[in-house]
Amino acid sequence: MDDWTADLEVDVICSDDDSTRRGKSLKLPLVKPVCAKRKSGYGFHQSCRMCLEKIREAMLHHRWQEAAEYMACCSQILECKSEYRVPPNKVLIRRISTEILHHHPNTTMEDYNVVYERMKHSGFKHYLMISLEHAFHLMLHGKIKDAKQKLCDAEGWKYGKESAIQIQNTRLIQAYRSLLDYIIWCDTKSSLSNKDYFDMQNALNSFRKASVNLKEILKHPGVWDPFILSYVDMLEFYQDHDEALKVLTDYALDENFPPNPNAQVYLYRYLKQHDAPQKKQMKNLHSLVPSHELMLDYISYLLQAEKKASAQKALAVILEMLDFACWRTNLDLWRSLQGVIQKLQMEDNFESIVRETMASRKDWWYALHFTSFHGRKDSKENPELLEVKASLAKILCPDRELKYAAE
Amino acid sequence: MDYQFPHQLFPGFYNCGPPDVDLKVDPERWGSYNGVIPQGNVGPRSSWSFTPRHHIRGETWCHTEPVPMPLLSPKRAFLGPLTPPDPQDFTEHMQNFFTDHSQDAFGGMSGVLGENFHFRPKNRKESRRKDAVSVRGMKSGPDILKHKVCHQTYQFNLLKKYSGLMSDVIHDIPPELLGSLLYEELAGQRDRMLFFENATGGALVFVPFSQSSSISSSQRGCLLYPAGQGLDRLNFHEVEMHYQGVSPGLDARSSKPISFQLQAPVRQISYASNSQDSCVAVRADHFCGVWRFSEGNEPRLLQVINTEEVATCINVSPHVMGEVLVANESTVASLWTVGQGMQKVRVEDSNLYFNAQSSWRWCEFSAHPRVMLYADRTGVELTDMRESPACSHTLFRISRSSECRSSERLVLSKYLGQVHPFHHLITTQCSAYVVDERFPCVPMLKWDHMMESPPVFCHAIPDSAAFVSVGGESSTTKLLLSSYSSQEITMLQYSGGRAQACLGRGPPQALLRPREALKHLPVQIPHRLHAVSRRMSSPAAGLTCIDGTARRGSMCVLQLTEAGDIFYQVLEHKLADGSTPRSPAGGSPPERAAEDPSPPALGSEGAERLPGESQTVIPDTPVKDTGGPTRGMAACTAVAETPEREQPTRTTLNFDHEGRLRDQLIQMDLGNDDGNVAEVDPAGNAKKHSDEEAVNITDGPAPVTLSAGSLATWKQWLQKQNHCGKKSRPQSSQHFRIRTTGLLSLSNTGARDACEKGHTESLRTHMRSCMSSRSLLVHSTVSASLGVLDVVPMPSVVDTDAWSDPLSQRLTLSWQGEGLCQAWWEEELGTNREAKMEALRRKRRQAKEARRAAGHRLKLSRSFDSSANYQSERDDFSSIGWSSPASRDVWSDREGCGPLSELATFLEETQRDPTPSSSHTVPTSTASPKRVGDKVSGHHTPGGTGTPTKSPRAAETCRKATRRPAEDSLDTLIPTQDDLSQKDFLEKEDERDRLRIPAAGSSSQPHGSSSQPHGSSSQPHSSFSQPHGSSSQPHGSFSQPHGSFSQPHGSFSQPHGSSSQPHGSFSQPHGSFSQPHGSSSQPHGSFSQPHGSLLLPSRVSRLTSSQGSQGLPGRSQGSQPKKKTRMGF
Repeated sequence: MDDWTADLEVDVICSDDDSTRRGKSLKLPLVKPVCAKRKSGYGFHQSCRMCLEKIREAMLHHRWQEAAEYMACCSQILECKSEYRVPPNKVLIRRISTEILHHHPNTTMEDYNVVYERMKHSGFKHYLMISLEHAFHLMLHGKIKDAKQKLCDAEGWKYGKESAIQIQNTRLIQAYRSLLDYIIWCDTKSSLSNKDYFDMQNALNSFRKASVNLKEILKHPGVWDPFILSYVDMLEFYQDHDEALKVLTDYALDENFPPNPNAQVYLYRYLKQHDAPQKKQMKNLHSLVPSHELMLDYISYLLQAEKKASAQKALAVILEMLDFACWRTNLDLWRSLQGVIQKLQMEDNFESIVRETMASRKDWWYALHFTSFHGRKDSKENPELLEVKASLAKILCPDRELKYAAE
Repeated sequence: MDYQFPHQLFPGFYNCGPPDVDLKVDPERWGSYNGVIPQGNVGPRSSWSFTPRHHIRGETWCHTEPVPMPLLSPKRAFLGPLTPPDPQDFTEHMQNFFTDHSQDAFGGMSGVLGENFHFRPKNRKESRRKDAVSVRGMKSGPDILKHKVCHQTYQFNLLKKYSGLMSDVIHDIPPELLGSLLYEELAGQRDRMLFFENATGGALVFVPFSQSSSISSSQRGCLLYPAGQGLDRLNFHEVEMHYQGVSPGLDARSSKPISFQLQAPVRQISYASNSQDSCVAVRADHFCGVWRFSEGNEPRLLQVINTEEVATCINVSPHVMGEVLVANESTVASLWTVGQGMQKVRVEDSNLYFNAQSSWRWCEFSAHPRVMLYADRTGVELTDMRESPACSHTLFRISRSSECRSSERLVLSKYLGQVHPFHHLITTQCSAYVVDERFPCVPMLKWDHMMESPPVFCHAIPDSAAFVSVGGESSTTKLLLSSYSSQEITMLQYSGGRAQACLGRGPPQALLRPREALKHLPVQIPHRLHAVSRRMSSPAAGLTCIDGTARRGSMCVLQLTEAGDIFYQVLEHKLADGSTPRSPAGGSPPERAAEDPSPPALGSEGAERLPGESQTVIPDTPVKDTGGPTRGMAACTAVAETPEREQPTRTTLNFDHEGRLRDQLIQMDLGNDDGNVAEVDPAGNAKKHSDEEAVNITDGPAPVTLSAGSLATWKQWLQKQNHCGKKSRPQSSQHFRIRTTGLLSLSNTGARDACEKGHTESLRTHMRSCMSSRSLLVHSTVSASLGVLDVVPMPSVVDTDAWSDPLSQRLTLSWQGEGLCQAWWEEELGTNREAKMEALRRKRRQAKEARRAAGHRLKLSRSFDSSANYQSERDDFSSIGWSSPASRDVWSDREGCGPLSELATFLEETQRDPTPSSSHTVPTSTASPKRVGDKVSGHHTPGGTGTPTKSPRAAETCRKATRRPAEDSLDTLIPTQDDLSQKDFLEKEDERDRLRIPAAGSSSQPHGSSSQPHGSSSQPHSSFSQPHGSSSQPHGSFSQPHGSFSQPHGSFSQPHGSSSQPHGSFSQPHGSFSQPHGSSSQPHGSFSQPHGSLLLPSRVSRLTSSQGSQGLPGRSQGSQPKKKTRMGF
């Protein structure tokens, strides 16, 4: 924290560096690498800058050994405490050194710890971010306990007036800590076979600790897939279905949240699991992601409904799925289309229904599915599909002279 | 399972609103994980694992060569400047315009004013207006502009004055307007050089042909690229990628390209193929065309459309053949169904999310054939084309939701249909995003791509399922980004996107740039290096890749530059254990190296191949073994790096020593090339080297040295480049030239020819032997054949007396010693005047004394002497420097002219004085007589100019004395007796004087003729006046005052053309002059001069003998009559 003034200084200098010179007239502001930005400076600073440029170049070309050697040479950059000159961006140097450590063959966990700890204390602005990164590193190496400890340390950290980013980072740290609590909870739960009261208490403690933060972060718009899954899992264990449903519904249907297909899927699965009506949820998902694989479920659900309108709906859903490249050669989907058509053929106004559904597709669907090229390809790769498609071609595109099954 | 959506996504906040982080603050995100998600089933702690969003490691891809290789032989190209122009330089451009296109710049007004001016000398008889002004002097002004000169030295006052007078009327285009327009244009050009948005998308495409067998040793396909100097010829070129040999290589020689000449440079090529037919859409600025071709069929143009506005984007539908999306700057996006017409899909007058002041639009297809992406600089929207008006929703926007920074702008959007049906790549200046269209607004993945300039070209290589089994790790999708101005190529790797969330794999990797290749190539001489580096650093125009990842574990990245060159680099995948995954058919690398050592060769189109086998220089094929017809060729290719020697060596090769000489030449020239002799010659060594290198390559990420085959390819390329660059080299600026024709011509006699031929022959032999032994050809070696040279006589001693101008005098004196020079300066500046006057007075007193003592001895000659006295005084007076006759001449001549000519006269007058100091001289010199006169009259010694008498015999010494004024400083004659009335005389007499000058020559000089032997006294005059007879007025006016001070006898020493002028005044001004001496002298004076010269000798000789006895030799005007009169007192 000793050089926060220096950090501020960097910001000031960077912000009015290029913009005055050319940022105004140039429509597209361009970025320069940080190390190449400041051309002024003498002696030590200049050599530092050149060294950084060399390191950066070596790293971009994945010459890690060379970068590491340069890095060893310019460790003095970090010791520089000149008051008059702007010190090089220490955060950048720390990040670079982390990257080099990632690729160095002889790295030990101790090195990482040292680098991360020093990074944390090189500037107040990035403390939380780096704490989080440090915890990630520990998690990735299976040191969940250590990671949790680091996160707990960071949780209580505060500096000056909290900025929005700082608050969000704190929340993320809390959520990740809760995720680790959940893992510990799972751990305890899996060894819960002997119904030990003490273990039960421990698990409950973990749950309580986790739930507070998880519940908190789920209130804020964002993507919280791992968090909500663990939270719901715990809630289900403690039979708190109302809370679980509420959390999932909020996550899926809150307007402020990004349109996450997974949120719909989680809610749908939960509803399905508890035999609640899922049709509305399917509709939601269909409007959001018409190509989702759960649409197969939707189709079968619609076909079960035994209603004329739902069969027509099923036809529309299938045709829409077939628009997408990823379903075009899916035999099952074509089969279910065949089934729907057969079912509809029994209706009186079958042709008008098909024409209506195909109206928006009539001028390009044949090109998408029924050209002679598709015929050749299908006959080579999937003759069964050719058969199914050939039977449907005339029905779906009655106006066209199709060459699909000509050969 | 493309339709799967990741079961879990990485957590992150979803922030709305504009970005709040500054573009320049946030440092690059090296080494961060950026979030993790847990993976594992509900169980004990040990069963849990985590996946980071940015995985540390990706696949390792290494270059096979340290430099990118050229694919095509270089063609003539238009090369832009290396550095973007500075808009502040617009004045320089204006100057160029004015000098180079003066007719356009000043044509109108010069037509009007033209008849009032003329540039010819006066005496030419030409029909011109009577009052036309001669501006002869002006011409040198524009002439000197051609050269770089110091503007302080070359000042054109006349020009300046005219310019002040007329600068606001003579321009056809007002300079203010022209300047501001030029500034705008230069700023636009600079922006275009830094970032050229029309090039977005890139004009290089590789369409792979379907493979007959999955494990063939090569891959064929069609390369589409623009060629020609303007990049306006579309080429369909079949190329073949070899996977055999030491390193995989690309071969473009097997076929000739099919070309279509277009009307405008190709900006973008987009293609889609359904593995049978390919549909190619080409965008130029104002038209778009669609071609169709397949492996067997030649490309066929289907349709061309003209767009009124500049088209910014073209994209072929991957779903429906023949559908093309076109966007243009009028912000209209249309769906063009080839053969059926255009359908406007979306019109957007403003930018999507905020005002980015950009009319750039982009559109792409998406996973649904009727949903398109509509992008501008602020974001991307998904637009459904079926509905009207099109409904759309945000896919991506510059905002906090995608963690953008402020002033970040969208640069490129690309549908990654080959990789994942729902993925899109979006790049900005600092980041690259992978966006899943099923989950809009939140990017799946974000990188800092760390490129200098924004990436505008992109190529995606799908992950190859085949690798999963080989490598153990799951394979990655590769994204290649390339920028325009800096030529960078960056490879990003990621995996996932289906059941798993997207993971970034490893940090970005920079690939090789052509502009950095030069340091690995042979050293070139500077101007060639400049030309080559300029060519190789021309901005990139396209990027593509030949994907061999699935079958070969290698890929070939191709890059097109605006110079029309295509460079390729081959990358190989390295597994963790350092081995290269290859399909079994290929065998292990060393084996294949042994199988087929021939390296990939430089491709060239058949017609444009150099005569002879172009491979001859490649060291793998031994140079010594090349057949007869290729001999000359081999030698020529080998001397690529030294153009100066190219000509001589070629001529040398015409002689009979060809065979022996060639090898020596090769050895020499290659020896200059960075010490690669060992590799290249002899051939056997080279092969060994390349084999060793091939083994070494596996160690590092990129090999350090260039393999011999590639080196040869590069050398050939460089040579061809130099060859074609020579013709297109722009004319350098003009230099001063000295004509040398005829300076060194040989006489054409036959005998001499034979002799000469023998000399030449022997000289050549000497030269060859010197070259082979690498020694210098010195004179001693060839002197025998050249014969003894004539002894050149020493130049004669410099006669300093021949130069009489003050500068020469000063310089001469300064050679003689510092003291002399200083004394000269004192004389010059008049600082010793007081001392001189003092000395003069003293002397005069002494003379008086002497005269008193002598009594009336010289009574007889007194009257005559007095008249001579007047004359000498007149002489002195004239030397003071009255207004110069030439200037009066000018004034008098210019009567009755028009106002313009008067003006011209004025300007010319002032302009004639080259320096400010000299221009001041005129007024002072006119004033000086008065001033001096006043002073002297204060002494009441009008005849005080008298100096000690002098021996007339001392003519020789007299001349010398004038050279050494310091010695005679005491004898200075301070001019006296100048009444204002004299002025009238002088002016009136001018005309007569001038007429007299030619005849007078030397005879009119003898002012002191009254008392001096004519011949001797006139001699100094003639010698002085001759060199300066024609000297111009400035000299006169400059030196007149000095003459009176510094020269012992101003009238004599006065070294100017005007020296003859005063004589005219000799004969008349008796009245005024004689005043102090009484009227008695007047009649003498009037006739004395013409007759004096006849009468004098005896008398003068008598006088001089008497003066000589007084011991004052060396006085040039020793015979001052005044002295005698006084002596006679």
